[in-house]
Amino acid sequence: MSETSDRLLRGYQAQEKRFLERRFPLRFAPENPTLRELYNQAKGFRWNPETDVAWSRFDPAAHAPAVREAARLVWSRRAWGTYPGLGENTALLIRFCLESGAGGMDAKLFLSFRPAEEAKHLEACFLFATRLGGYESTPSHAAVARASNQPFAQMALDPDLPVEAVVAALGCLDDQLDLNLCLCHLQHSRDETARQILRLVAGDKQRHVLFAWTLLGQRLPRLAAAGRAAVAETVRDVLERVILAGYRNTWLMPEDAREPLLAAEALTAEHGLGASTVAQEKAVVRATLAQVRERLATWDITLAPVNHPELGRA
Amino acid sequence: MSTYLTESRYPLELAPTMPSVWELWQRAKTLEWDPEMDIPWDELHPERYPDAQIMAARLHWSRRTWGEYGAISESPALLLRFCLENRHPDLRFFFTMRTQEEGRHAEASWLMAERLGGYFPQPQNPPTVDAVGTHGVRRMAFDPDTSLEGIFASLVCAAEEILIDAFKATVHKATNPAVRRLMELILRDEVRHIAFGWQCLDAWAPSFTPETVQNIERAVTQMIQNVEFNGYRNLWLAVEGGSATPLEIDADRVACEAGLGGTTPEDEMRIVPQFIQKIRARMEPWGVRLPLFDHPKLGKV
Repeated sequence: MSETSDRLLRGYQAQEKRFLERRFPLRFAPENPTLRELYNQAKGFRWNPETDVAWSRFDPAAHAPAVREAARLVWSRRAWGTYPGLGENTALLIRFCLESGAGGMDAKLFLSFRPAEEAKHLEACFLFATRLGGYESTPSHAAVARASNQPFAQMALDPDLPVEAVVAALGCLDDQLDLNLCLCHLQHSRDETARQILRLVAGDKQRHVLFAWTLLGQRLPRLAAAGRAAVAETVRDVLERVILAGYRNTWLMPEDAREPLLAAEALTAEHGLGASTVAQEKAVVRATLAQVRERLATWDITLAPVNHPELGRA
Repeated sequence: MSTYLTESRYPLELAPTMPSVWELWQRAKTLEWDPEMDIPWDELHPERYPDAQIMAARLHWSRRTWGEYGAISESPALLLRFCLENRHPDLRFFFTMRTQEEGRHAEASWLMAERLGGYFPQPQNPPTVDAVGTHGVRRMAFDPDTSLEGIFASLVCAAEEILIDAFKATVHKATNPAVRRLMELILRDEVRHIAFGWQCLDAWAPSFTPETVQNIERAVTQMIQNVEFNGYRNLWLAVEGGSATPLEIDADRVACEAGLGGTTPEDEMRIVPQFIQKIRARMEPWGVRLPLFDHPKLGKV
C-alpha cells in the first residue's frame, strides 16, 4: 500500500467512525414510490456492453487513421470521466446506510445498482476505444489528469456535509450536465456503434438524474437553513472549481492544457463518432446551468451566475 | 473540496489482467435476475401451511434480509479500497456487480418474508441485534492495518462459503417451488462471489508474507468464532444463545422441515464441521493454519 492510499484509507476510516449506524428496525417497504420505481426500472433495463452493442458491424477501416486516433482519445477521456462513478456512488450508498440507519431503503437499493451501471458505461467506453486503436490509460497533460480526478467519494462520506448537498452537486448538477452532453453527442453522432453506446448509457443516466432530483425534492423542504446554505455553497463550489475547470468539457480547461484533446473532439464530432463541437457543448452547458438554477430556485436555493472566459456569464 | 486528499488514479488501467475474475464479471452480466419477476410467487401458497410454519419461515427470511443488508451497508467499502489501492480492474468491475447482486438478495429475502405473511424489521429482543447486526467488514475494509487478503479470506472464503454450503446442502429440502427458485438464484450468484475470493487469494498466495498469513489466520478465526458462532447466520449456533427467543432459535428448523428454507440442527452439525475442514485444507497450501474451534454443540472442529 502506498503512502497516499494509506492516508486516504485512514481518512475514510476517520469519516466512518463519526457516524453511528442504527440498523434496526430495518425497514424495506417503499417509502418513496418514485425512487422504488427507478430501482425497478434499473432491474428491468439491464444491458451488457459485450453483447448489446453490435461490435461486429463496426469497421475501423472505414475511418482514416487520424480520425480513429482522435476518436480513441475522446472515448478514453470519456472512460476517465466515467470511472469516478464507481467509487462516488459506492461512497454515497455507504453514507445512506450510515446516516439513514433503518430507513431510506429506496435510495439504498437504487444505489446498490448504480456502481455496476457505471462499470458497464466504463467497459463500453473502453471497448470502443480499444476497437478504435487502443484505450489510453493516462491523460497526456497533467492538467487533464488533475481535472478528471476529484475526491467525490470522500465528499460523499463527509459527515460535515449534508447528504443533500452531495446529491445536489453530484447528481443534480454534474450528472445532469453529463446526461445533457451525452444526449448532445447522441444527437450529433452518425456512427451506428457510437449511437448505440450513447443511447444505452443515456438511458441509465436519465434514471441517475431523476434519482437525484426526486431525492432532493423529498428531502430539501425539510432541511434546516444551515443545511440549505450548505447545498447552495456545495453546488456553487463544484460548479466553479470542478465543472468550470474542465471536468466534463475540454474547452473549459486552461488554454495550454486543451490539446490534443480539443482537436480530437472536433475531428470526432466532424466524423460523427460520438462527440459534439465546442459550440454545441457551450449551448448544453448554458442550458444545463439555467435548468439547474431554475429547479433549485423552486426550493429557494440560489445558484448565482458564473463567469468564465470561454463561456461568458452563465 | 480543497480539504480532501486526491487519489493517485493514473494510469487508469482497464484491460483485464485476471482472466478468471474477468470471466466472473462477464457471467454476472448475463445472469441478472429480478426478484419481482423471476420467482414463481403464484406458487408460494402460504395459506397451505400451518401458522407455526409460516411464522418460522417469516422469521427465517426476515433474518436472511438483515444478513443480506450487511452486503449493502458494509462490504461495498471494499470497492473503495480497491480503487484507492489501484487494484486490478477485474476486481473493481466484478465488485460493482456483487454489490448489485447482494441488494437483489436483500430485496428478494424481504419479498419472501412479506409474501409469507409479513417481514419482521428487527429481532424479537434487542440484544440479538449484536449477533445479527454486523460482521464488521466495513470497519476492516477502511482499516489500513487489516490486509485485503485477511478480509477476503474472512468475508468471502469463510462467511459466504458457509452460507453457500448450507444452501447447497439444503436446497433440495425446499419443497416449495417459490422458495426453492429463490434459493437457486441466490446460490447461483453466491457461487460467483465465492469463486472470486478464492481465485484472488490463489493468485496472490505466492506473494504472501508471514504477516499476511497471520492476518488471514486471525481474520478467519475471528469470523468463525465471533460472527458465525455468535449466530450471525443461524441462531442455533450462537454460543451464548444471546437474547434470541426460543421461537427465533427454532425458526430455521421449523421452516426447513416445512420445505420453506432454512436448516435443521442436524444439518448444521454436519455442514459446519465439513466447512471448517474444507477451508482448513484449502488454505493450508498458502501456509495458513487454522486452529481447532471449540463449540458447545458441535464439539471440537
